[in-house]
Amino acid sequence: MEDELQRLRGEALVRLDGIDQSGDLEEFRVEYLGRKGLFSGLMKQLGQADPAERPRLGQLANSVKAEVEEAFAARQQALADSAGRESDKGLDISLPGRTVPLGRLHPVTQIMDEVCGIFEGLGFAVAEGPDIETDFYNFEALNIPPHHPARDMHDTFYFSESVLLRTHTSPMQIRAMENKKPPLRMIAPGKVYRCDSDITHTPMFHQVEGFLVDEKVSFADLKGILSIFIARMFDEKTPIRFRPSFFPFTEPSAEVDIGCVICGGSGCRVCKHTGWLEILGSGMIDPEVFKKIGYDPELYTGFAFGLGIERIAMLKYGINDIRLYYENDLRFLRQF
Amino acid sequence: MKFTVNWLKKYIDFDLSNRELADRLTMAGLEVDSVEELYPGLDDLRVGLVKGVKPHPNADRLSLCEVDDGESVRRVVCGAPNVRAGMLTALAVPGTVMPGGFKIKPAKIRGEASEGMLCSAHELGISPDKAGIMDLPADLSPGQSLVEALELRDTLIEVDLTPNRPDCASVIGTAREVGAFVGKKVKHPGAGDLPELSGADLPFAVEVRDFAACPRYSARMVKGVKIAPSPWWLQRLLLALGLRPINNVVDVTNFVMLEYGQPLHAFDFSKLAGGRIVVRRAAKGETTETLDGVERRLDEEMLLICDAERPVAVAGVMGGGNSEVSDDTVDILLESACFDPVSIRRTSRRLNLATDSSYRFERGVDPQGTVRALERAVELIVELAGGVAVPGGVDLKEGLPENSPIDLRVRRCNDLLGLDLSARQIGDYLESIEIDADPVDEESLKVTPPGFRVDLEREVDLFEEVARLVGYNEIPVTLPHVPLSFADRDPAREIRKEVAAIMTAQGYNEAINYSFVSDRHYDMLGLPADHPARRNVRLLNPLAEDQSVMRTMLLPGILENLKRNVNHQRPDIKLFEVGKVFHPTDSELPDEEMRLVAVISGKRNPDSPPLHFGEEECDFFDIKACGENLLNELRRDQVEMVSPKETPAYVGGSPYLALQTGAEVLGGLGRLSADCLKRFGIKTEVYFLEVSLTGLAEVSPRPKSFEPLSRFPSVNWDLAMLVPENLAAGEIIEAVKNCGEEILEEARIIDIFRGESIEEGYKSVAITVTYRDDSKTLEDETVQKVHQKIIDLISTRFGGKLREA
Repeated sequence: MEDELQRLRGEALVRLDGIDQSGDLEEFRVEYLGRKGLFSGLMKQLGQADPAERPRLGQLANSVKAEVEEAFAARQQALADSAGRESDKGLDISLPGRTVPLGRLHPVTQIMDEVCGIFEGLGFAVAEGPDIETDFYNFEALNIPPHHPARDMHDTFYFSESVLLRTHTSPMQIRAMENKKPPLRMIAPGKVYRCDSDITHTPMFHQVEGFLVDEKVSFADLKGILSIFIARMFDEKTPIRFRPSFFPFTEPSAEVDIGCVICGGSGCRVCKHTGWLEILGSGMIDPEVFKKIGYDPELYTGFAFGLGIERIAMLKYGINDIRLYYENDLRFLRQF
Repeated sequence: MKFTVNWLKKYIDFDLSNRELADRLTMAGLEVDSVEELYPGLDDLRVGLVKGVKPHPNADRLSLCEVDDGESVRRVVCGAPNVRAGMLTALAVPGTVMPGGFKIKPAKIRGEASEGMLCSAHELGISPDKAGIMDLPADLSPGQSLVEALELRDTLIEVDLTPNRPDCASVIGTAREVGAFVGKKVKHPGAGDLPELSGADLPFAVEVRDFAACPRYSARMVKGVKIAPSPWWLQRLLLALGLRPINNVVDVTNFVMLEYGQPLHAFDFSKLAGGRIVVRRAAKGETTETLDGVERRLDEEMLLICDAERPVAVAGVMGGGNSEVSDDTVDILLESACFDPVSIRRTSRRLNLATDSSYRFERGVDPQGTVRALERAVELIVELAGGVAVPGGVDLKEGLPENSPIDLRVRRCNDLLGLDLSARQIGDYLESIEIDADPVDEESLKVTPPGFRVDLEREVDLFEEVARLVGYNEIPVTLPHVPLSFADRDPAREIRKEVAAIMTAQGYNEAINYSFVSDRHYDMLGLPADHPARRNVRLLNPLAEDQSVMRTMLLPGILENLKRNVNHQRPDIKLFEVGKVFHPTDSELPDEEMRLVAVISGKRNPDSPPLHFGEEECDFFDIKACGENLLNELRRDQVEMVSPKETPAYVGGSPYLALQTGAEVLGGLGRLSADCLKRFGIKTEVYFLEVSLTGLAEVSPRPKSFEPLSRFPSVNWDLAMLVPENLAAGEIIEAVKNCGEEILEEARIIDIFRGESIEEGYKSVAITVTYRDDSKTLEDETVQKVHQKIIDLISTRFGGKLREA
């Protein structure tokens, strides 16, 4: 009896293992576990067993049957899983998802946020100033008096003799310093305007101005901060160089170039075959500027820098036509 | 500023490739804009000797020439009027590829064989001269390479000069900078002592009436010159540098300007009334004709060079037509002066006349250099045009500023730059570019900038020179030590970022448009004449009419974007823009308001296949949802959507809701009227949202606060009511929610039905009401009581009837 039970158990489990169709599974159920099945048959023989053995054999028979039932259920589940649900029949999962796509930020905004994020990480405050400025903030306070040749570098839109569209975000240096004492570190993102429109210029574009003022700030510090920025914005390995330039509101002034991201420095049309790309203007804030807003230039020094967002976006994304920025063609906007 | 490498090498010895030279100049602050090989593609050309010329038998204008190419004599057919026996010219033999890419082949021209071509300077890209074939100097020999014979192998370098470096608007200034990095001194062409120019027994006199505007005026005279074209080397150099050769005298003045940076002017002395020069300010309303033939109206701030009777030049800007050097000029007066930069710039701007001369004067020329340049010009004129220099001259310099030394503090210099230089090192650096620097002690130097460095006025200007000479890239890289502080955020920027996140999450793409627009847009929107949006700020100098006023609304710009996209087969559009609009005020600056606009048009779900969602067009409830999401996510619940008495002109009778806090209107949302769309040329329905973010920022957001989660289940009971057709369903919901019953948690509309089974003048509104008691499980009787109250409320307040099942 006991042997018969063990044999039946082994046989049932082996058969179950080989079953891969639900019809065979039903056949198995009837044959082994049904009311007239093999296990029921064995149970019925229990009555003929030695009464002393009967409880033990009964227990054994029940546990074997339970084990086979469990294996049956598992097999049934496995078969069901592999067959899939009825409702899944004909489901074409190669179809695209039921998407309601997210919108995208304009590439200029994306770069702007990235630039601001780097400086915010360095503890710079952020402030946006007015687009429409006075001559004082845009020029005079920045050491660009009337009839200064540097005004040639700024093709200015005017509303009146003294009111204009800012030509750079630098006026925010003055507005910020007027209201606060050093130490000061701030960036000012925003739109700027020059009356110039051709294949490489749009009359409106975006800049981020930044400055840091305290006691004993040096040109070496300027190099440090801008090197961090460029490593974050581009790549740790991006070559960087500083070269002399001229801005009326900084002295010394420096133009910052990075190794050409298009050709890797070997020379191409974009970098005019120099291997370098101009990326931002910077310098130590001119003592005249400090005098204008009432800081003691002997006590405080500082640096300022400004960069064009469109240019960075062009370099990072390979955009080759500046006019695309303001046509707002979805085929363009959806790429970034 | 342009120079050629061969020319530069006459002033400074260096051994650098063109690329290295360009690189070093750029790193010294003279940014090289272009490096260009001059006269490319002329390697195959030779000098040819025309031995004989006879007429072409079949063509009046052609000649048959026998040309010696150095090896043999060949027949060449030539059409140039100036061809003559005995002349040396440029010869292209068969096989030569011309600069334009054209290959010379043996040919028959009107029946006569021609083995080559005689070339004009224009054909070879050397000058614009098309008058005939090149007439080369007689000392060349046939067969020589043209490039070598004419020393054509040269490179043109253009430097983008910053306004502070007028000293480098000259080849000698550039050579000085090269000298600093190659460790050599400049070879000055006119070395030696300068004569003291005195005014005794001169045939001319000079009077300066305004030394502030003209700090120095030097002049000399050359008698008996013969005006003729300049020699080839001079013409070619001027052409390469972008100047037009005129005649030997004028060309010399231009050459010396390019050499020394000192603009010069030559007057025809016979045309100077009284033999006098008077430097004075113009009288009001005075006019003069400049040598470009334009009558110039002058004002009292403009400085004039006059003779005894009339203006003969606008000082520092352009000479007058009445005294210019012409072919029959015999005696000339040469002016070498120094003018006040601001005065010149102002005049140049006023007259809209920028010249090579005004460019230099407005940036500042070397007040010490007038005589040196004058002597150089006299020497060259005598050499090239003959004549005799009248001994002596005039040099009025009462206006010259005192040249006072600058104290340079070594520690200050090192602190600012992050360096550790000694006084001696600093001195050596400055001396390398001819700046006089004497160490006083270990801590300071006395520095006297040379006259040509008009930009060096302060200690900090010298620091920049030190940094430049050390090399910016040799300065260490450090980080500033600043105390920690909390970095302020800009609230306007913060709300902009929040809004952008909410809009992109809803599938709207960001647009950015110009801040200036056309005021035609307001007509297209159909705004009445007195609409506040029409009060705008106008640019004095717009680039175009459609960019002439600052925008007061964002909607027109984004509608133009929408149209553009539809035209480019992107008809399904979700766009938004966050930007400033500008309103005139009584104060100096306009008010700048930040606003949001969004538009949706076309299919609701264009990016999924139709079988997922169907192909429904978006409608009013899409833009309403956008507004609801915006207000919910910004937690500005106080802002209500209200159906206003009057809609904007561009909405008309279309569905529209205003966004208001109390009586203040912050914006609105709805559908654009067909009229407005037609005026914008848009053929699809457009739903829009516009709201003032400046206004929204002033509404305080609802604070986030926790409400405990109930442990007891809720129950949903539905009811369907017949209510008058014109009743807004939203009002019913509003009333139900505010009925004051504590167990009422939520009420939502699930269906609105009109149809045959419904009584005329009524509609059926189905509502599901959620009930919950936070302290116990609700019993049916409790719910039943409240539910009935709600039915009664709708019945009595709105004339509703419970719909029979």
